[in-house]
Amino acid sequence: MRNSIVGGNTMNKIVAGLLFGLILGALDGATAWLYPEARPVLTSIMIGSSIKGMIVGLFSGWFARKVQSTRWGIVVGSALGLLFAFLVAIMDATKGQPHYLEIMLPGFVVGAIIGFLTQRIGTRDLANQRTR
Amino acid sequence: MDADTAIGGHGDRFPSTQLSLLEATASGLSSEALDRVITIYWKPVYRFIRLKFHKNNEDAKDLTQGFFATALERDFFARFDPEKAPFRTYLRMAVERFAANQHAAANRQKRGGDIEFETVGEQAVSTDSPEQVFEREWQRQLFCLALDDLRAHSEGCGKQLEFQIFQAYDLAEGEHPSYAELAHQHGVPETSVTNYLAWARRMMRGFVMERLRGTTAGWRELRDEMRRVWS
Amino acid sequence: MELSDSVLDHLRRVAALPDLSGTRYELEGEIGRGGMGIVYDARDRVLDRHVALKVLDLIPAGEAQLIAALEHPAIVPVYEAGTLPDGREFYAMKLIRGARLDQYVARQSTLAERLRLIWRVGEALAYAHSHGIIHRDLKPQNVMVGEFGEIYVMDWGVKAIAGTPAFRAPEIVLDQRSDIYALGALLRFLLPEPNPPALGAIAAKAMSADPAARYPDAPALLADIERFEQGMAVDAWPEPLWHRLRRFASRNSVLLWLLAAYTIAKFVIFFLRKL
Repeated sequence: MRNSIVGGNTMNKIVAGLLFGLILGALDGATAWLYPEARPVLTSIMIGSSIKGMIVGLFSGWFARKVQSTRWGIVVGSALGLLFAFLVAIMDATKGQPHYLEIMLPGFVVGAIIGFLTQRIGTRDLANQRTR
Repeated sequence: MDADTAIGGHGDRFPSTQLSLLEATASGLSSEALDRVITIYWKPVYRFIRLKFHKNNEDAKDLTQGFFATALERDFFARFDPEKAPFRTYLRMAVERFAANQHAAANRQKRGGDIEFETVGEQAVSTDSPEQVFEREWQRQLFCLALDDLRAHSEGCGKQLEFQIFQAYDLAEGEHPSYAELAHQHGVPETSVTNYLAWARRMMRGFVMERLRGTTAGWRELRDEMRRVWS
Repeated sequence: MELSDSVLDHLRRVAALPDLSGTRYELEGEIGRGGMGIVYDARDRVLDRHVALKVLDLIPAGEAQLIAALEHPAIVPVYEAGTLPDGREFYAMKLIRGARLDQYVARQSTLAERLRLIWRVGEALAYAHSHGIIHRDLKPQNVMVGEFGEIYVMDWGVKAIAGTPAFRAPEIVLDQRSDIYALGALLRFLLPEPNPPALGAIAAKAMSADPAARYPDAPALLADIERFEQGMAVDAWPEPLWHRLRRFASRNSVLLWLLAAYTIAKFVIFFLRKL
């Protein structure tokens, strides 16, 4: 009764994860506009960020279908977010100045948000549902 | 026995299934309704007048007679509204008005110095108000009549033994005898004592209700007044 | 025949007792007096258990048969209905050992517990209404809380009421909506001071003078209470904006914290960069 599903009930969590990942990743990438030196390559940042977000969303969504736990969803999401942000940061570091903090920290939090949202929204794998 | 309060009415007639007060007056049986009222209310009214207006025996008796003779003639029953109060209260208030009028009229003729402090009799309790005495006498009279009915009924259907046992137990002053004693005295088993008492009490209850039915306006008032009798 | 005071009192007491000869019950004592009659504690000789024996004063409640047919955990089961040898109607029902609602709640009681009580009463009401029975005299004195916290609603279908006016709907002809009124009054009775305004509004809506303005049935009222428990907006209360925001914040606190964390992280990075 308490954990009523808010918002779209009809899409499954993987699709939801992809969607959230895309949107949040794009938004996160867009904040790079605040750094003038990043503006020329803003588009590629945003694309990269969106892809990162979608990957995180995909896995988070898959996890959320199997395991129902807001706490663990956040943990998994943030871990994935951190991981992929790290990978992006490494790739970015090879091009010039490292931006580990600027990429990983927000990536970590965005991953947590994606993890949270996939727990809350979308349909679960019914075969795995625990009867309460 | 009280020679002073001999009742003017047909109190010892065995009551048939009685119509309620309103039914009786509606079907033009006012005199019968009046009879029933007098039978039950004569003593309570008498005691009430004595206590409330500090009258001696003779004056109170006169006033009581006067009330029932005159006040009741003037469409008394027709003006009774059961929604406002039970009949018992309505009657008592009419008595108050009547007696107060008479008292005032009588005082105008008095020469003065009529202070009489007289005890009302063995039932006088200094803590009870006249209204409480009135209600108590009403209850007492109801039960007295019901007991008369019960006695007559038991004689009529051959249950004198039952009545005797009932009388020995429930009408005993002070301590009640034990069931065993009664069983032994009357030569019946103890279980019979229990049964006879149950029978007599059931009948008595019925007779009380019948007497009450005749002076109430309908089943709701009857039920409320019944409750007042028990509690 | 003259009766002394003591004999008179004895007779009065004795005449009121129910005559249980011929029944399977033995009188043990008096429990209380209600709207319809007196309730006694009696022992069922056959099943060797105690029952509550309600002896109806005169006119039996016309719905005794219907009420006996109700089966619900919150409605006291009627074991037997019959007529005593003295002509009075009675019914024997389960003897509830517990506390009356007003007494129960006077001891400590959380809001969650009080809402649970309303839930149980509301469910019983919904069940009875679906079977065409109206309570007509719902009030805290007619609700019992049993030894294990179970709820019983008693005294169904009492027609003549000299009862507590605070729980009685203003209209003359009582029907389902009058029960809703009483349920609202019960809710108000149970609410602590100061109360959450949403719950107060639910009670007020149920207690509208106009029956049409009340909830249409018990489930509707309970649904509004459920909305309150879930932190959603309540039908009965048009809430002010700041309260709506507060509620939104508390429901979505995790998300808001995460967004705050993101924003803070961004700011921190930004200013670190500047240094």
